[in-house]
Amino acid sequence: MSQNPLPVAERAGAVAGSVKIAIEGVEKRFDARRRIVHALGPLDLEIRSGEFVCLVGPSGCGKSTLLRLLAGLARPSAGDVRIGVRDPRRPLTAMVFQDYSIYPWKTVRQNVEFPLLVNGLSKGERRARADQWLDRTGLAQFADSHPAQLSGGMKQRVSIARAFAMEPEILLMDEPFAALDAQMRFILQDELLQLWQEHRRTVLFITHNLDEALLLGDRVAVMSARPGRIIADLEVPFDRPRTGEIRGSAEFAELEQQLWQLLRAEVEATRGGVDV
Amino acid sequence: MSELMDRPARRDLADGGWANVVERTPGPADLDPARHAARRRRRDTVLRVGAPLLLLLVWQLVSMTGALSPNLWPSPAKVFGAFLEMLRIGLLQEATLASMNRLLVGYAVGAVAGYVVGLALGEIRPLRIALVPIVSALYTVPKLAILPLLLLIFGLGDAPKVILIAMGVFFILAISTVANVIGVAETDREPAASFHSSWLQTQVHVVIPAIVPGTFTALRIACGNALLILVGMEFIQGESGLGYLIWNSWQLYRADRMYVGIVVVAVLGALFQSLVGWIGQRLAPWAQLTDRTPV
Repeated sequence: MSQNPLPVAERAGAVAGSVKIAIEGVEKRFDARRRIVHALGPLDLEIRSGEFVCLVGPSGCGKSTLLRLLAGLARPSAGDVRIGVRDPRRPLTAMVFQDYSIYPWKTVRQNVEFPLLVNGLSKGERRARADQWLDRTGLAQFADSHPAQLSGGMKQRVSIARAFAMEPEILLMDEPFAALDAQMRFILQDELLQLWQEHRRTVLFITHNLDEALLLGDRVAVMSARPGRIIADLEVPFDRPRTGEIRGSAEFAELEQQLWQLLRAEVEATRGGVDV
Repeated sequence: MSELMDRPARRDLADGGWANVVERTPGPADLDPARHAARRRRRDTVLRVGAPLLLLLVWQLVSMTGALSPNLWPSPAKVFGAFLEMLRIGLLQEATLASMNRLLVGYAVGAVAGYVVGLALGEIRPLRIALVPIVSALYTVPKLAILPLLLLIFGLGDAPKVILIAMGVFFILAISTVANVIGVAETDREPAASFHSSWLQTQVHVVIPAIVPGTFTALRIACGNALLILVGMEFIQGESGLGYLIWNSWQLYRADRMYVGIVVVAVLGALFQSLVGWIGQRLAPWAQLTDRTPV
């Protein structure tokens, strides 16, 4: 793909590094059988335009809830989220779910075309854009297969292709690689790095995996045990473009250790606790 | 909360030259969950009770305008009068009892037989290959079409009616149980297999629980079907039951009594179905069979 309309659009009229997403005092409580579960917050976080932010935290801390709030799938119990919109005609957010969430009754191509159909693209445009992204994610030869015929890694590629094909302003990724084996995870992480470095956009990426957070993110925000708050927010110092090779550096190992120290107390606090 | 009200960050976002700003703020359900849930329950109750009442009201008003022939469309008030009279002379109780007797016996026999056959066909492949086409073919034969045959064999008593109801229920249960059993996911079967569970243990601990939701959907569909066959047969043959009551009232130009019969059949059908649904929900708390309103 020599032509790539998106970064141009992002640059045009954009104030470099301006705040894209402002999360302020956001809380979420669930009413579970007459018991109020305080799942999240109060949480404050700012994400700048074009920034890749990774969010790590112990399970059940409300990471996914936060993502769902940003996607508009749920509303906060208190506080608010504000998102700057560059182009109202384009999808604001696209989500990559942990369990792929692609439709088994649609072929790979139909899955990628579905959000484009919803957004009113013509048949030709849908086809062209879907094929471009299937090609980019190495799925071209599976375009007419159904998801049941694909491996887990392939399914997650479909889900990523679907999200990128939407060309959203913000990508929301909810532990997209958590269900994959380590090798497949390495490969897809590298692919995602490449895709993002070519097609920069704002990303909020949730993960359990500290190594993944450091590899992919410009920033890593660490959440506390439930109710999740931001307890640390650190800049990742590695230059772009990156590859998986930075894992071997001493600085990387040191940062990972530092993150683990932060997280350890929180993970231990959740032991014996229940997941929401 | 108050220091959050004047947020400097709001200006930050405004600096970005955005076309507009999307906000995600608490909705009414988030600000006051208890009140929201209470309001939703109230609305559900109003809808549940109000819809049939509204229908009755419209019927009453239309018949009061005189636009409808009172011989064909008696007003709800008149039908209610007939209902009370039929209760007083015991006509309704007698008919209901006779019908319910046939219905419940036929339904129980058909459901159990259909379920067992469905399980067997679903689990035993050669049996399935041999018999499913035959079962499907028989299913499409209208049950009432073989009533004359059953009358010849079993005479004029309750037996032909019970058998026909049982057959109607049998096919629904058998066909859907086969589909349910085939649909049990490998990921549900394999853990049990990895523990070396016997065929019987797999049935008891995996297959039967896994198909409970589908089974109860079939049982609920079968309720309506059983009632349909029952009323149809009571029209044609015999001199007791709700179907007979409806048909007989019609022949005697007692439209008011006919409507009483129709309404009683409809109410019984609805009650029967919700009873089956309720039992299913008790047996399968992990499945969502009825409309449990989320808080």
